[in-house]
Amino acid sequence: MSTPANPFASKPSRSRSFEKVILGVFRTATYIILICGAAVFGDILLKGVPTVANAFKTTSTFPYVTNTFLFEAPESLYVFEHEGKTMEMGDKDYRAFREAEIAKAAAAGLPPPVFKSSSYVYSAGGIWPCIVGTVLLVVGSMTIALFLGVCSAIFLNEYAKDGPIVRFIRLAILNLAGVPSIVFGLFGFGLFVIYLDWNVSLLAGWFTLAFMVLPVVITASEESLKAVPKGFREGSLALGATKWQTIRKNVLPYALPGILTSSILGIARVAGETAPIMFTAAYVVRDKLPWDVEKASDFFFQGVMALPYHIYVVSSKIPQNEYTSRVQYGTAFVFLGIVALIATASIIFRNKLRSRYQW
Amino acid sequence: MPTEPVSPPPQKPFLIEKKRTRFLGLTLDETIRAFFGGNAFTAVVVLALITIFLFREGSAFFGQNRESITLYRQAGLEYVDYMRTQQEEHTALTRYLFDIRLRAVKHMTEAPLGGAQKEKDAASKELWELEHNALASGPAVDPEKLASAKARVAAAEAASAKILADANAKLAAFDDFAGRYSDTIEPVRGLVSELTDVAVAIKEKYTINEDAKRERAQYLAAGMTAEADAVKITEVDFKAELAPLVGITPIYVETANGVAAAIKEVASTPPTLPVPALEERMKRFQALNAQYLASFPETQRKLETWDYQKPVPAIDTFTGFIFGKQWLTASFWQDWYGVVPLFVGSLMVSVIALFLAVPLGVGAAIYINQFASAKEQKLVKPAIEFISAIPSVVLGFFGIAVLGQALRALSQVEALSWIPGFPFSERLNALTAGCLLALIAVPTIFTLAEDALNNVPRSFKEASFALGASRMQTILRIIVPASLSGIVSAVLLGLGRVIGETMVVLLCAGNRIAIPDFTEGFAAFVQPVHTMTGIIAQEMGEVERGGIHYRALFMVGLVLFFIALLINFLAQKIVRKYRVSIG
Repeated sequence: MSTPANPFASKPSRSRSFEKVILGVFRTATYIILICGAAVFGDILLKGVPTVANAFKTTSTFPYVTNTFLFEAPESLYVFEHEGKTMEMGDKDYRAFREAEIAKAAAAGLPPPVFKSSSYVYSAGGIWPCIVGTVLLVVGSMTIALFLGVCSAIFLNEYAKDGPIVRFIRLAILNLAGVPSIVFGLFGFGLFVIYLDWNVSLLAGWFTLAFMVLPVVITASEESLKAVPKGFREGSLALGATKWQTIRKNVLPYALPGILTSSILGIARVAGETAPIMFTAAYVVRDKLPWDVEKASDFFFQGVMALPYHIYVVSSKIPQNEYTSRVQYGTAFVFLGIVALIATASIIFRNKLRSRYQW
Repeated sequence: MPTEPVSPPPQKPFLIEKKRTRFLGLTLDETIRAFFGGNAFTAVVVLALITIFLFREGSAFFGQNRESITLYRQAGLEYVDYMRTQQEEHTALTRYLFDIRLRAVKHMTEAPLGGAQKEKDAASKELWELEHNALASGPAVDPEKLASAKARVAAAEAASAKILADANAKLAAFDDFAGRYSDTIEPVRGLVSELTDVAVAIKEKYTINEDAKRERAQYLAAGMTAEADAVKITEVDFKAELAPLVGITPIYVETANGVAAAIKEVASTPPTLPVPALEERMKRFQALNAQYLASFPETQRKLETWDYQKPVPAIDTFTGFIFGKQWLTASFWQDWYGVVPLFVGSLMVSVIALFLAVPLGVGAAIYINQFASAKEQKLVKPAIEFISAIPSVVLGFFGIAVLGQALRALSQVEALSWIPGFPFSERLNALTAGCLLALIAVPTIFTLAEDALNNVPRSFKEASFALGASRMQTILRIIVPASLSGIVSAVLLGLGRVIGETMVVLLCAGNRIAIPDFTEGFAAFVQPVHTMTGIIAQEMGEVERGGIHYRALFMVGLVLFFIALLINFLAQKIVRKYRVSIG
C-alpha cells in the first residue's frame, strides 16, 4: 500500500534546488571555519596536555605537589646512553648524575665512564619565568591602557561636542587600530629603548603594548559609557551636581563593569602579541626572576622572558624532534590555555552583564 | 552748580559666597575637563610619535645609501658589474639549453621507461616470492625457476638502462652543441673574476681608511691629539687605483667581440632535436641568443663611457629603495636595499589569505545572519571570536609543526598533481603562511561583514518579500548589495590585519628573499617568500645600531605604516561613500 502523494507539497523546481545548493555552500563555509579552528585547538591540546600532566611531582614541603613544567626555569636537555639505556636529563640533574657516576667508578677502581650526550637547549625544565614575565607585561600595560583609555572615552563621550577636533581624534583612534603590531615594536624600540634610553625593559614593553591596545580599550569604554541611560546624567545634573560629580557618582559606577569586561579582550590581545615585545621587552633567556633585583627601580628596567616570545624561540631556533616537541607543544598549550581562558571569561562576563543591566 | 559726584552705595557682600578653587585660572570642573581632553589626545600624539620616530631613525637611510652607491661607483664595482651582467646572461642561456635537454630526455624515455619499470617490478615481485617461499619451505624450490626469475629481473634492468643510454646517444649532438656554447664565455669569466678582486681591494682600502678617519675623529673629540696624529690616513686615489680596471676596457672589448664571434659560429650550426615537440623551444633559444648578442654594443658603450666621478643623483637612492628588486645584505660585494621582493612576498601571502578568507568569512556571515537559528548563532559567534583570540605565534608554531608537512604530503598525492605547483618540496612557503593568515583574517571579515548585514534596514527585506521574491533572491539581490560597502571595507580591514601580521609569516613563509618566478604561473604561490613584517622581526635584533641596514629596516617599517594607513583610509572612505542611504 503506497501513501498517496501530498498534492500540496512544493514541487521541486530549478530555483528551489539552486537555493538549497547556495544554502549548503554558506553552511559549509561556516563549518569549515569552525573545523579549522577546532583542528588547531585540538592538535595543540592533545599533544600539549601530556607535557603538563606528566610533570606533576610530589615534594616534601607544603603544598606537597608541584609541576616541574609550570614552575621551573627552562634548562638544556641532555640525551645520552648509559649502561645500554637511553636517558634524558635536565642540565642540573645531568651534571649531578655524571659526577655521581664518576665518583662511583673511582671508588670501585674503574676508569671513569664516558658520557656521549647530545643537548637540546630549552627542552627540559619548565616555563615559569615566561609565565611570570607575561603576567607582568599584561598587568602593567593594561593598567596604563585602561587609565588612558577610560579617560579618553570619558572625554569623548561626556565632555566633547561634535566638532573638527573630536572628529580628528576619532580618526586618529581608528587609524591607530590599523597600525601593524611590528610597527608598534619599531616605534617602541626607537622611542623608549633608544631615544629615552630605557634599554630592553619592562617599562618599554608596557608602554608599547599599552599604546597598541589603546584603541580597543577606548572603543570598549565608549560603548559602555553610551549604554548608561541619559536619564541618569540628567537626574543628577537637575539636582545641582556638577558635571564631574555626575560622572563620578552616576555614570562611571554603572559603566565600569562593562568597561572592564570588554577590556578583557584587550588583555587577550596584549598577552598574545609577540612582535611589539621582540625588541622592547623580551629576553631569550634570563636566569633571574623579575623580583630578584638589587634596588626597586631596577625592577622597571629589566627585560623579562615572555610566553609568546618563548614559543617563537623554541619553534624557530631549535630543531624539531621528539625531544624538543614536548616543550614546544607544552608551551603552546599553556599559552593557548591562558589566552583561551581570558577570552572565555570575557565572553561569559559580557553575556552576564547584558542580562544584569536592563534599562 | 557742580554737585558732588554721588558715589554708588557700597555693594553688600553676597550672603552666600562660593569659593572656587582655581588651578592656573581654571575652575575644578574645567581642570577635570582639560585633564580628560588631554588624555583623549594620546591617540593623536601616539600616531604623530610613530611617524616622527620612524622618520627619525629611518630618514638617514637615504644619505647612507647614497654614500654606499657612490662608493659602488668609485671603487669600480659598477664597472665590473656591467661585465658580470653579460656573463650572467650567458649563463642563463646555457641553463635554458640544459632545461631543453631535461625535457627531451623526459619526453623520450617517459613512456618506454614506465613499461620497463612495470616489467622490473613484476619480475622483482616474482623473485621475492620465490625467495620467500624458499625461506619458508626449505630447499624445495626449483632452482631453475629461481634462475629464470633472476634473469628476468636482470633483463628488465638492462632494458631500462638501454632506454636511457639510447636517449643519451640521440642527444649527443645536442650535448656537443650545449657544451661548446657554454664554453664560449670562458674568456669573459676569467676577466671578470680578476677584476672582481681588484674592485673589492679598492673598496676594502676605502673602508679601512674611513674607519681610521672615524677613529681619529673620536680621539680628537676626546682631546687625545697624540693618538689622533698616530692614526694613519691615506686618502684613496680612486683614479690611480682604477687605472688597471679602466685600462682593461680595450682588452675586454676585444674579448667580448671574440666571444660574440664564437657564439655566432656555434649558434649557426644548431643540432636537430630528436623530439620535434621541443623545436619551439629551440627557436625561442635562438631568438633569445640573438637578443643577447644585440646587447653587446650597448655594454661596450657603457664600459667606454663609464666615469667613476659621475655623481649619484639623490633621487636614485629613493627609487632604488622603492623599486629596487634586490634585498641583499652582508655581502662582500655590494649591499642592495630594494623593498620590492619583500613587498611582493607580503602581497602574495595576503592574496592567498584573502582568496581563502573572503569566501569563508563572507559566506559564514551571510549564513549566520540570514539563515542560522538562534541556537546556531549563539554557538558560532563566540566560537569565531575564540578563533580570533588564538595568538598568531601559536598559529605560526602550528604551521611549522603540522600544517607545513600536511600540505606537502597533500601536494604529493597523485590525484592532485593537476594543481599548478603541486607537488612541492618546500615545507614552509607562501601557501602555508597564507592558509594560516586566512584563519587570522576570517574572524575580522566575519564580524565586520555580519555587522554590515545587520545594519540593512528590515524594510528592505520586507519590501522584497512583499514583491514576491524568494528568500534567496532577497538575500543575494537586496541584502548583500545593500551592505556591499560594509562587506568591502570588512575585506579591506582583513587585508590590513593580514599584511601587518608578523609571527605567522616569520615562522611559516620560508624566508627566502627573492621575487618568486612568475613565469611558472600559479606555481609561484608555493615558493618560499620573505615579507616586510618578517624581515623587520628577523633582522632588527642582529643589525648594528645606526648602520645603513638598521635604517633600511626602519624605512621598511615606514612603508608598512603608510600601507596600513592607506588601507584604513580606503576602508573608511568606501563605507562613507557607498553606503546605501536609509531614508
